[in-house]
Amino acid sequence: MLDTFEILTTSGVVLWSKSYSAISPAIINSLITNVFIEERTLPGAGIADDISAANNPPYKYDQHTLKWTTVKELGLIFVAVYRSLLHLSWIDKLVDNIKTIFVDLYGDQLKKPHTTIVECHFDEYFDQQVRELEKTALNQDTRVAEASALEEAPISVSANLRDEPPPLPGILSRGQSKNTFKDLTSNESTPIATPDTSRPSTPASHILTGKGGPGGKGSRRARKAANTPSAYASSGEESQRKGRPKSSGPKKGRKWDAEGMADEDSDTPLDYSTPADGVNLGDDEGKGRPGNVEGVDHATWGSKTGKGQFVLKDLDDQVNSILATAGAKKESSTASTGIVGSSINAIGGLFRNVVGGKTLTKEDLDKAMKGMEDHLLRKNVAREAAIRLCEGVERELIGVKTGNFESVQARIQTAMEASLQKILTPTSSLDLLREIDAVTSPSALSLKKKRPYVISIVGVNGVGKSTNLSKICFFLLQNKYKVLVVACDTFRSGAVEQLAVHVRNLKELSAREGGEVELYQKGYGKDAANVAKDSVSFAAQEGFDVVLIDTAGRRHNDQRLMSSLDKFAKFANPDKILMVGEALVGTDSVAQARNFNTAFGAGRSLDGFIISKCDTVGDMVGTLVSMVHATNVPVLFVGVGQHYSDLRNLSVKWAVQKLLSSNQ
Amino acid sequence: MSTIAEWAHALMSPSPVALIVGILLVLSIPLFLHSFVFRASGLTTLPSILLIGPSGSGKTSLLTLFERGTSAAQTHTSQAPISAECHLPVGTLASSDRYRSVNDPTNLRHKKFLLVDTPGHGKLRHHALASITNPQNLKGIIFVVDAATLSAGDEGLRHTADYLHDILLVLQKRTESKNKAVKALKEIPILIAANKGDLFTALPASLVKSSLEMEISKVRSSRSKGLLDSGIGMEDEGDRDEWLGEVGSTEFRFKQMEEFDVVVEVSGGNVAGG
Ligand SMILES: Nc1nc2c(ncn2[C@@H]2O[C@H](COP(=O)(O)OP(=O)(O)OP(=O)(O)O)[C@@H](O)[C@H]2O)c(=O)[nH]1
Ligand SMILES: [Mg+2]
Repeated sequence: MLDTFEILTTSGVVLWSKSYSAISPAIINSLITNVFIEERTLPGAGIADDISAANNPPYKYDQHTLKWTTVKELGLIFVAVYRSLLHLSWIDKLVDNIKTIFVDLYGDQLKKPHTTIVECHFDEYFDQQVRELEKTALNQDTRVAEASALEEAPISVSANLRDEPPPLPGILSRGQSKNTFKDLTSNESTPIATPDTSRPSTPASHILTGKGGPGGKGSRRARKAANTPSAYASSGEESQRKGRPKSSGPKKGRKWDAEGMADEDSDTPLDYSTPADGVNLGDDEGKGRPGNVEGVDHATWGSKTGKGQFVLKDLDDQVNSILATAGAKKESSTASTGIVGSSINAIGGLFRNVVGGKTLTKEDLDKAMKGMEDHLLRKNVAREAAIRLCEGVERELIGVKTGNFESVQARIQTAMEASLQKILTPTSSLDLLREIDAVTSPSALSLKKKRPYVISIVGVNGVGKSTNLSKICFFLLQNKYKVLVVACDTFRSGAVEQLAVHVRNLKELSAREGGEVELYQKGYGKDAANVAKDSVSFAAQEGFDVVLIDTAGRRHNDQRLMSSLDKFAKFANPDKILMVGEALVGTDSVAQARNFNTAFGAGRSLDGFIISKCDTVGDMVGTLVSMVHATNVPVLFVGVGQHYSDLRNLSVKWAVQKLLSSNQ
Repeated sequence: MSTIAEWAHALMSPSPVALIVGILLVLSIPLFLHSFVFRASGLTTLPSILLIGPSGSGKTSLLTLFERGTSAAQTHTSQAPISAECHLPVGTLASSDRYRSVNDPTNLRHKKFLLVDTPGHGKLRHHALASITNPQNLKGIIFVVDAATLSAGDEGLRHTADYLHDILLVLQKRTESKNKAVKALKEIPILIAANKGDLFTALPASLVKSSLEMEISKVRSSRSKGLLDSGIGMEDEGDRDEWLGEVGSTEFRFKQMEEFDVVVEVSGGNVAGG
């Protein structure tokens, strides 16, 4: 069963929620940070609008699965949380339907400025949907598994069921049926007769509204069937409205006005109609429907609703008509508006193109986005990253109105700027010195032991690992740290000597500054992981502040060498694993970053990039974006020259400006 | 010759499309001029108070508490700023009312103000910065911190101090800003709201103050020792003169901000729970 359903705004306020079993707020928070803010699943996904929950990738967190959808215009997020063990085939439909109903009922309130309050009495609508969708799911399930469990069924149930096969009571878990029962009894506390006659509810029908439960698990047909009800529900509803125009007319009028809402809420859900009436009602409804298979199906289902008797017919009708109009709207919007209309639209569009105030459509954006994509490619952004960035921006912009005197082009430019800025900005500030201090001289109160801070540098061959390690070392020496440089490239001949030269230079340079640096090396052929481990304990004994470990360069597609990184990370247990990437690299950057990021085993990833040789590429700093984009790992430093002092913090503003500048 | 005649002909009998466009243009120009000119002059907005702080500190909760009066709404991580219209309780005197007579009937009315919430996530702090660098009738800032994560050596303390340091630095440098509205910000009171006082691990306000001051001293010195920015050559970023508070002081104190007309006050409390 569902754990929790929440409707919240992008500003973080929960507008409505229903909880069947309490879940930690961290679950939904992690959905928001990972999917919407940091866009770890796919960029732009969080802002994509009008995508059904089925098309959004389910988010899994700590034994829970989250299904979600958004309404960009109103800044709404709809989330359903349930245990990953369960297979709830109807959950997508539920999320979508709830979205439609909620927006229809409270859309106006949501547009009010300067308030976070939305008066909503949504419980009944939600319960109605859950009941209905569960029932359809159950129907499918029973038909699949009709052979079994007949003898277990209570007599009253089979009696009520007429020609429908009974549900599988064995499936219902105790907790679940208790849940329903609670809902029902709370409803019964406000019994008010409806226009239809009332009749007592039987315990059997309580069970009837029970859950599909795990019975649906693994059944292809059930899953498929649960995905189809959109078609048959709406067609059914339409015919129903046609069949009974008198009864639905006035009701429809009532439901649209805001005042009426309160009234309806007070005469809550009890349809106490007599069994006979229920059957009649069902039959009537059945007659109104087309005689195809789905129609028949729907008729029996309708009669059961008649006996289900917890649902006020009004509410059912209202919800169904909301869903039906929404469906119809979607269809009509795709239909063309005729020649006159379209030519006027075209003129208006051209006009608005100049003065702004135009609502952007995919067609408007397509050409301009292509231009933006080419621009990014020229800046050396990898194709994959460029495409996904543009897709993200496009999804964000569709349906957005341009501002006064703002052209489409300008709007895209600003959106891309914001998007790049968001990608490149790190989640938390990257203050290396302070992190080192926290480890090497922990506060007396925090009960942590003093230990050296370990940084290791990885990357493919020839990107400048040793050079950048020396630059970092120089920076640390300037700040008077005691640094141990470890040569873990036990593979390529000459690597250790090269590092030794760097260390000698650094010693000379730092002699008057007050820093201290030593080289730790064990020659060639040793296992790098062991050397690293030994060096860290050596550094701890000798009172070094920072350990800088240089590793062998390796191709990111060299399976054997890459797999040794896993052991290396476990043995050396570095505080920071930094990857050096070349600004020149181009398309390969995505694969490089991704493979290195996953090479350290579960639970460990890269902590930052150093992008080297930025001085040689001018404005074409696309590698920055490609690498961050592929991994969500921030850029810590950029290398801008040949000297030890040519290391810089990344200024996001600087990078974005270079990426968007068009002086070529 | 014939081309001229054609031209004249075309000019005299415009296509209906051109006609419509022309008429629309003529009619709309005054409208646009109007909106353009008057937008710049700025409507008088309500006085606003800004909520800033790291993620999860309770900003949105506080906002909903102020708005609803009785209890806060359930909240999750914010992605977008939001403002809510709130009232001071009847009888509260705003400092702008200092010179009103006690019997002034307006004193008996609710004083309205806008409370503006901003997302605290690292990637979304530009919203908060924009509200300071482009202020709309800004009267004060509430910096909300989670007092339960501020014990020494805690990640939370580091991140909170980082953020607070950056905000204070922006305020300190506001006189250098090109934006007139920023320069016009005279006094800015900052309330550091030590939230979640109901939790067992929460520090009292006095400790919150001292540990933040200590941590900001560290931020300040490590920033001054850090590497240069890659954007060092850019025009409006040149100066490295980014020392928060009194130059030459070893320890940062919130009092040092008073020199820049920024008054910092710390007080404890809790939005939810008990
Ligand atoms: N115990 C306790 N919890 C609180 C208090 N105030 C807020 N919380 C909880 O802290 C959590 C985060 O609160 P939010 O208001 O969403 O945090 P925020 O500052 O808006 O965070 P962002 O929107 O991510 O910047 C929520 O689960 C609140 O219920 C408090 O006084 N005591
Ligand atoms: Mg918030």
